[in-house]
Amino acid sequence: MSSTTPQLGEPLMQIRNLDKSFGGVKAVDNVTMDLRAGIVTTLVGPNGAGKTTFFNLITGNLARDGGEVTWLGRDIAGIKPHRIARAGVMRTYQDLRLFDGMTVWENVLNATEYGALPLPMSSSARAERRDRIERVLERTGLADKRDTRALDLAYAERKFLSMARIMATRARLWLLDEPASGLDPNSYERFLTILREDVAGGVTVCIIEHNLDIVIGISDRIAFLDRGKLLADGDPQSVLNDPELARIYFGDRE
Amino acid sequence: MEAYIYNLVNLIAIYSILAVTLNFIMGYAGIYSLAHAVFFGLGAYTSSWVAQNVSPSIFVSYPAAMVAAGAVSLFLALPALRVRGEYFVAASLGLQVLSVTIYSEWKGFTGGIGGVLAIPPVDVLGWEVFRPGQFAILSVAVLVLVVLLTTALVRSSFGRNLRAIRDSESAAASFGKNVPMIKTISVVISAGLAALAGALYASYLSFINVESFTLDTSVLIMAIVIIGGTGTVAGPIVGAAILLILPSVISYFEFLPQTEIGSLQQIIYGLGMTLLMIFRPGGLVGRRPGR
Repeated sequence: MSSTTPQLGEPLMQIRNLDKSFGGVKAVDNVTMDLRAGIVTTLVGPNGAGKTTFFNLITGNLARDGGEVTWLGRDIAGIKPHRIARAGVMRTYQDLRLFDGMTVWENVLNATEYGALPLPMSSSARAERRDRIERVLERTGLADKRDTRALDLAYAERKFLSMARIMATRARLWLLDEPASGLDPNSYERFLTILREDVAGGVTVCIIEHNLDIVIGISDRIAFLDRGKLLADGDPQSVLNDPELARIYFGDRE
Repeated sequence: MEAYIYNLVNLIAIYSILAVTLNFIMGYAGIYSLAHAVFFGLGAYTSSWVAQNVSPSIFVSYPAAMVAAGAVSLFLALPALRVRGEYFVAASLGLQVLSVTIYSEWKGFTGGIGGVLAIPPVDVLGWEVFRPGQFAILSVAVLVLVVLLTTALVRSSFGRNLRAIRDSESAAASFGKNVPMIKTISVVISAGLAALAGALYASYLSFINVESFTLDTSVLIMAIVIIGGTGTVAGPIVGAAILLILPSVISYFEFLPQTEIGSLQQIIYGLGMTLLMIFRPGGLVGRRPGR
């Protein structure tokens, strides 16, 4: 991981002409955008617009057909997902993919353990890690559930555990796939608070979200995808007020 | 009677090592292998060959068995990296069938169908250990070592990584884990430690042949793990004890027709396992499933 601290707004990830097709259908079609340091970019668009595919391409989960993705100036074509993750790009999944057989504590702890074999750790590093996890559990409201298996959590708790895992890492870019969908209003507030605090702490976020309250509450920038194409990429007001985009989004075509 | 008990202790210890090492990959990494007897056999043949041709010292023949099994297990790790679940079971079944053929045919190393005779007793710091009572100390000591080592690994970050991979391979990779590397290491460790059971078996019986290392044995080891409790520390040992003691318990009841003991045993196993899976799918030691 590079030790230089990028300036606010400096592009961390640069995506150029990204392409991906599934059996002749263009899932991501010539998308070009930058993910800039300290900026929250929200991906919006109807279902099937290619938002999750876009995540899968930049995390290495899927191989792209064409285009270029650089992270901190380095081309990450063909790099394995775990290497991209270690370089500081981490993600959550829409279907969460928690480690269901493990406790809340183990889920969060394990998110910070990269090495294949256990390495000796100094007691101060161990204490620092424990404090970091404690803090994450408190902020996500999971402190009382630390010994509960992920499988046995309620829906909102599972969503927050998915967030807690990424919060405990030192990732610089978070790719969040519908982290707030299905949450109640109180949970929304907690979620927005977490996100604002971590963004203020230097994290860069790209988030897929449908809920307009969240979109408005958190976005510095909105990128609008439809049928794999990037139709708009700009400040929230101009994108949300575009009548053409609203028509596509709220689906009165056909 | 004493010799009988010691004999039973030795067999239980040896099968416990097999079950503990299979549980290591099955219960934590979710790698279901039907080829565990391959490494049992390889450990037995390798340690026998080394004991006869190089040295019967436990510090030579046993490590040689571990190294050989660890190396061959890479053939099993290879499919484990590519495929999951039932596909891997099929791949391991293939390795098991292939190995039995090799063990039956490679006369220079395995003695073919006839097996290896006159394996010298194992030498522990100048002591030849062969009496069942003495050997029981050795076999239980090795079991304790294997349990301590696997338990320490399972409770470390390595064990959490295995369980993370079992629960969601893609999420594990997304949190920086080198999934193929971790799986490979787990398979190599499992096979290397299973070879210790083979080495104990060979030096204890002083005679081995391919019949001990067939698919039946692999299935038996898997049954021991499932009955005892997959993913638990004590489960595999409890399972081994029950499955090995059961035959003698059945033959103890004199009113049962002694000529039918074999089939009676099969019926009890089959029925017991079916009922267990219905009422306690986590095994005897395993915890009840979550919601």
